[in-house]
Amino acid sequence: MPGISSSLYNIFLRRNTVMLGTVFAAAFGLQLAFDAGSDRIWDAINKGRQWKDIKHRYVEAPEEE
Amino acid sequence: MPALTTTTRALARTWTAHQLPAARACTAAVQQTRSVSEVSSTSSFDSPFKGSGSSTKIPSFAAYRNKSGGETGPKVFSYFMVGTMGALSALGAKATVQDFLVNMSASADVLAQAKVEIDLAAIPEGKNVIIKWRGKPVFIRHRTEDEIKEAEDTKWESLRDPEPDSERVKKPEWLIMLGVCTHLGCVPIGEAGDFGGWFCPCHGSHYDISGRIRKGPAPLNLEVPAYEFPEDGKVIIG
Repeated sequence: MPGISSSLYNIFLRRNTVMLGTVFAAAFGLQLAFDAGSDRIWDAINKGRQWKDIKHRYVEAPEEE
Repeated sequence: MPALTTTTRALARTWTAHQLPAARACTAAVQQTRSVSEVSSTSSFDSPFKGSGSSTKIPSFAAYRNKSGGETGPKVFSYFMVGTMGALSALGAKATVQDFLVNMSASADVLAQAKVEIDLAAIPEGKNVIIKWRGKPVFIRHRTEDEIKEAEDTKWESLRDPEPDSERVKKPEWLIMLGVCTHLGCVPIGEAGDFGGWFCPCHGSHYDISGRIRKGPAPLNLEVPAYEFPEDGKVIIG
């Protein structure tokens, strides 16, 4: 356990620039995860009520282009 | 006078020397007799220090001590918490700024009208079509082979607004540009003028078959909007 934490410290936290970069990268990842997760929850709550769920009832075939 | 002073001083010294210890002893005796228990028994005030021998009792913080020995673990934890706080606040700041900026951009119904799709198969060769796009006329010209050749062979380097024909079209047979004269915003007339292109009747600007200004007061070529050919026979302007 001390080995893991010290290597974590040495990799991510020792230099302030590296820590800042890690923080922003984590913020970016968190944003993606948050958006995807909240979309999934929303779709699960509104299952069967959204246009993409009932579209096949009204649009028979894709329009010829 | 000096003699009097010295005697008074001596008197004062002796008085203090004899009197003060007695007074001290007296007060000490009083203090000794008035112990905590006596005070609490004689008054209605209930002392919080009653019964405790010594009031100083240091609690043990052993449960909160760092037991792992090294300082790295707690340091990593502290920095992790700091970094998490920073990441979350960066997320919130970004979302706030983005919401304000998105609020300023065009809404979906406006964007839906901002693009125009045109079926090019309906336009025969050598014909102009004028459509309305974002409140402005857009010229679409299906150019013939001769016209393409004429547009490409023009010495464009010496023109007022030098632009080669290849920069103004994506497919040579389709010339698509805004039908607004760059002089004062009139709508030029197609298939007119000295250069076989467009002629603005307001102040007499002549545009060639590539929409470039050749003669007259207009300073710039006719503007080319953003457009693309998603498939053959179709163009989307916008």
